[in-house]
Amino acid sequence: MNTAYVSALDVTAGLVLFAAVMTLWRRGVRTIVSILGVQGLSLSAVALVLAIHEHDTALLVTGGLVLVLKGIVIPGLLLRASRLDPKSRETRPLVNVPASLVAAAVLIVLSYVVSARITSLAPSDATRLVPLGMATILVGYFMLVTRRRAVSKIVGLILVDNGIGLVAYLLTSGVPFIVELGSSIDVLLVVVVLQFLMVSMGRHSDVDVLTERRELRD
Amino acid sequence: MLLVMIVAIPLAMTLAAMVCPWSPWLGRASGLASAGVLALGIWLSALTMTTPRWGAAHLMRADSLSAFMVVVIGSVSVLATSFTSRTMSQEIASGATTARHARHYVILMQVFITCMLIAVLSANLGVVWISIEATTIATTFLVSHRRTSGAFEASWKYVILCSVGIALAFLGTVLIYYGELHASGGHVASLNWTSLMAAAPHLDPRVTRLGFALLVVGYGTKVGLVPMHSWLPDAHSQAPAPVSALMSGVLLSVAFYALLRFRAVVQIALGPTFPRVALLMVGVASLLVATAMLIAQRDLKRMLAYSSIEHMGLMAVGAAVGSPLAIAAVLLHVLGHGITKAVLFLSAGEIYQLEGTTEIDRISGLLARRPVLGGIFGFALMSLVAFPPFSLFVSELSMARAEVDAGLSWVVAVSLACLAVVFAAVLRHGRHLLMGSRGDGESPSVLDRSAASMLVGALVVCVALGVLSWPVQSLLWHAAHQVTP
Amino acid sequence: MNRVALSVCTSVLQLALVGVGSLVLLGLMAKVKARAEGRVGSPVVQPLRDIRKLLTKERLHARHSSVVLALAPMVITASAAVAVGISPIIGTHPVLGQSADIFVIVYLLLTGSVASALAGLDPATAFGGMGASRAMTIGALAEPALLVAVIALSVQAGTSNLPGIVSSTASHPAWVFGPVHLFALGALLIVVLAETGRIPVDNPATHLELTMVHEAMVLEYAGPELALVTLGEAMRLGLLFSLVANLFLPWGVATGDSLGALAIACAALVAKTTTLALVVALIEVRSAKLRLFRLPELLAGGFVLSVLAVVMGLVIR
Repeated sequence: MNTAYVSALDVTAGLVLFAAVMTLWRRGVRTIVSILGVQGLSLSAVALVLAIHEHDTALLVTGGLVLVLKGIVIPGLLLRASRLDPKSRETRPLVNVPASLVAAAVLIVLSYVVSARITSLAPSDATRLVPLGMATILVGYFMLVTRRRAVSKIVGLILVDNGIGLVAYLLTSGVPFIVELGSSIDVLLVVVVLQFLMVSMGRHSDVDVLTERRELRD
Repeated sequence: MLLVMIVAIPLAMTLAAMVCPWSPWLGRASGLASAGVLALGIWLSALTMTTPRWGAAHLMRADSLSAFMVVVIGSVSVLATSFTSRTMSQEIASGATTARHARHYVILMQVFITCMLIAVLSANLGVVWISIEATTIATTFLVSHRRTSGAFEASWKYVILCSVGIALAFLGTVLIYYGELHASGGHVASLNWTSLMAAAPHLDPRVTRLGFALLVVGYGTKVGLVPMHSWLPDAHSQAPAPVSALMSGVLLSVAFYALLRFRAVVQIALGPTFPRVALLMVGVASLLVATAMLIAQRDLKRMLAYSSIEHMGLMAVGAAVGSPLAIAAVLLHVLGHGITKAVLFLSAGEIYQLEGTTEIDRISGLLARRPVLGGIFGFALMSLVAFPPFSLFVSELSMARAEVDAGLSWVVAVSLACLAVVFAAVLRHGRHLLMGSRGDGESPSVLDRSAASMLVGALVVCVALGVLSWPVQSLLWHAAHQVTP
Repeated sequence: MNRVALSVCTSVLQLALVGVGSLVLLGLMAKVKARAEGRVGSPVVQPLRDIRKLLTKERLHARHSSVVLALAPMVITASAAVAVGISPIIGTHPVLGQSADIFVIVYLLLTGSVASALAGLDPATAFGGMGASRAMTIGALAEPALLVAVIALSVQAGTSNLPGIVSSTASHPAWVFGPVHLFALGALLIVVLAETGRIPVDNPATHLELTMVHEAMVLEYAGPELALVTLGEAMRLGLLFSLVANLFLPWGVATGDSLGALAIACAALVAKTTTLALVVALIEVRSAKLRLFRLPELLAGGFVLSVLAVVMGLVIR
């Protein structure tokens, strides 16, 4: 039972970070969005594994919520948005893919070093995996900074959020339920808002131009 | 009950705007709703002088700091929402917007105010985060209200940067919660302000340090502190004037309120040095950057936005000191800056309506051409650079005193140097805007009487806050003691 | 039977098995690809026949070539043979097994690569130089990933000795399903495709000057030397395949000291490498060769996967 729990946790948490790395690796926007869905599913699996192990009903509900929201709804929304714009089928990285991947490797090692001080407070099977969450967050930020397409920026944002979710589940078995609920809704709304901006901006001109525009400056 | 009512007023107004079609009355009603919030806020501050109040099954809690923030939100939103029907009617008349979008505007404005009220009245610091993030969502649509490509660009930057920043604050909150969970032996942790303060002495220093650093960067984004400030000038310059007034006047301070709360926890856990260094770094950086950007500013609304960054920097420096005097001065500064900035943005909106531009180089002779509006704008600028009778003078002076008391004379020197430069820059821009002669055959136009009286009234309040110590002083002291251990 | 004799026996068996078996694997993969493409294809033992035919031909050297051209085939085959001899392929106690450190194996493989690159450059033909430069580029990207991926396994096992890693994985079957093995396997598969010159990295069946990498380097060889080069390269492939198979599925490898176990291990090895060869052949059938400029993306992916595996190993240790 215990080894099954540990390896289930290891694999699901590992998959969250793996999916984050894959989003840097692949170029097709639709592929990246599907990978994001896989990440959402792995994240909910982490929550569910923890919930079953600790008999935590609130976390079980959270896991279900994450499953629906980050596994299905948000990727679905993004897929629809990317379908609206046939021009942006591939990402346009500012930093090329090999360099991004090497940077990701550096970030992963960095997060391992940084997280040591957090995990040492209460070492357990769950908290030792915190570096994976931290690395997901850092990869998300890297994606935000180095990808030009609007969709990629949204993906980066969700990567950051998933990483924080992973850290929260692993460290504290989830924040209080009301906070979890509120933050999930916030994330959904942010995605909706960004999608709205992307689409309405796309009507004005090329979507891509949105993130490269320099009309407003000093 | 009272706490629920305060939140319920703008919420009811939201629902009303959802069912009613647009009419100028909708705008006026939202002004009245904000007045209701202000009145209840003042009542609440009287009630919470002695003991904090709880509401909604212990989800909400108000001490005098929360009550004070309700007063700030109330007073700025009274100004901002009273201009709603005026701004929207003008925009509909000029074809810049439609009745449908005007109604959306009213709805979102009320949602925005509701979120800020929930943020300051919530007992749970997690909920504070949620509502501050929710303000981002509501204001995005307000920033893109004009539907120009510039407005879309500004709101895109705004959402991306703020969500990214505030995500860090969530991570910080999670870490603090983890510390609390650990300090309480793994069962009673809730992120509630009271339980967090009780657990504060036992928080693990390493986790708390990391958590607070993330919180400063995260909420600092929303406050507009350097280095995460770049959304602010864009969003403030593109949003309609009342929205800019609310964002600059209170939204920044509400995010700052969250930082004040966490600072108190961290001060107990780590001692005063760490939060002081963290806040000083971002505060002084904001002061310097904003000052540099103010000098060369060519757009009126962007100039005001950078001045907001500068004032937020001042507040961060004040909060870094952390003595009751400093916090009280910071709070007075929040109120004074909120009202002054609201007046400035609203009159800048009027100027934009009349002149069709906000470029400083293309506007001049306001005093001769539009004496009332020009006069109000001039006095508000004087308030902004902290001329004596206005309250910002008092708060800046008290902050400086608190800084000297804490042995931070070099900070005082830096702030004063920055303030002097800002003073000169704002005066130079103001002189260009206000002075000059009227063109031939142009008759001086007069500002609408009700609008003018609102703005003048607000400036009078600023002076009153600066001159009279009663009744605000005791409220400020009580509020300051809530977050100074 | 004493241990020394058993070790010698293990190593000899490994050399024989890999020497013959890897050529058969090459034939098998060619056959599978041909069948998948709807062709009959040459028989599975065709590479063996090719070798036999080549051995009967005379030695020929390009006019301006130096001694490097003559020495390289021996270096390639010898380095591969030493690596095969000391690696844990059918048993965990081969000759010099205690020095079969991952660094030793990786550097033995590297020696072979460098030798073939030098051999490509030596006759100073255009294709040879081009092939050598491309092979070195790929190698420079693939070798670190290989090293780091095996380091990930060694972090978990607590030793960098290959037989040690194999035997400790065999005694902790849960590891195989853990994230470290998962990521390291992904990384190693990419590395193996690159190191053995399979599609999508290189096409072993092409002699089109624009695309060939490995074939361009050995274009100047003929007769027995070509046979030696082919054998050496086949042994590298056999070694990598069996290492991947044993590191991730260590069952069947002889850990004790009986001849019976060695026999079982031979059968297990044949089964595992055949499966792996089928997988690789299917990957080859399913994918198109990548453009040379896209290769760094694939290999950097392998590298980051192996770093991921190392960090996972450190985290869950």
